[in-house]
Amino acid sequence: MTFWTTLLIIHGLLAVALLGAITHQAVAVWLPVRAKAGSFVTRFRAVPSTSYVTAIIVLYLVTFVMGAWIYTQYRFTSRLALEQLQFFKTVGVFEMKEHVATIGLIVLPAYWAFWQQPLSEDYSGGRKSVTLLLAIMVWANFLIGHITNNARGFGS
Amino acid sequence: MMASSKVAVFTIVFGVAYAVLYVICTEINLPLVTYHPAIGEVDVLWAPARRGPAMYWYGWMLTSLIGALALAWLASIVSEQWVQRAIFFGCVAAVGYLIFYTVALFIYDKATVELEFLKSRLLAVAAALLAAAGISFFAPTRWQQRLWQGWVWLVPVGALVVLAYYLTPFFTR
Repeated sequence: MTFWTTLLIIHGLLAVALLGAITHQAVAVWLPVRAKAGSFVTRFRAVPSTSYVTAIIVLYLVTFVMGAWIYTQYRFTSRLALEQLQFFKTVGVFEMKEHVATIGLIVLPAYWAFWQQPLSEDYSGGRKSVTLLLAIMVWANFLIGHITNNARGFGS
Repeated sequence: MMASSKVAVFTIVFGVAYAVLYVICTEINLPLVTYHPAIGEVDVLWAPARRGPAMYWYGWMLTSLIGALALAWLASIVSEQWVQRAIFFGCVAAVGYLIFYTVALFIYDKATVELEFLKSRLLAVAAALLAAAGISFFAPTRWQQRLWQGWVWLVPVGALVVLAYYLTPFFTR
């Protein structure tokens, strides 16, 4: 059990890093700062968004693979307990998490193509929308993971 | 908002095709492999649960991956116009099917006489295909010139809506 708990914690930490990176990038690309950064919020928006691309792709892939691995343990331990406790909504949102994670994964190639250097003005619309979509999906999965863990996570 | 490089076309079509195929695979259960987590065994294609639950998710992803790679490769060798037309037609047909089938079921529910044919999915599919063909034919030419980048978020979002709809039994128990 210690092994799976450790894996889950690492998965969670990677998700936090991914969440930070994609949020930074999404805010920077949607609300770019024109003037010199001053306040915390302005500095948050002023990051060079291109520098996050590789990190986001790698973090997404590693977090996804770890999640898919932990999922095997969840399927015949935590999920059975959740069903016995009749926590069907929790099971349902976790099912949604697996779909959202998959859809996020398949959008990554286009995300990578749109962010290829030198940045093409032709792809600025696609770049913005795909980055925002990824950010929303990462946030959704992060929150769903938390909900499920609170219902029947490690230590329970 | 237009794409033209082969890499962009490949990645956009990959995302679009994968999302559609993934929805189909989950709906009609078409896994390339079945994993049995309790005993750590893998079966090729669909297999029933044995000694614990069966997991089809990995199999759905693999089935969709093969189909999406093939379609993305095909898209990268044909004219961009045709790719745009095919996706446009497919999306209009999908939305049309949703509208026609919902309306048909609504009429069936409210009708005072038995209209059994309205429950036929084939009828809704045929109507949707006809409507999509008509709309595609009359759509402005500039809509069909180059591949629209927005497909890569619009179709996956649509797929997520459909997948969420399939999960409603979990929330209505």
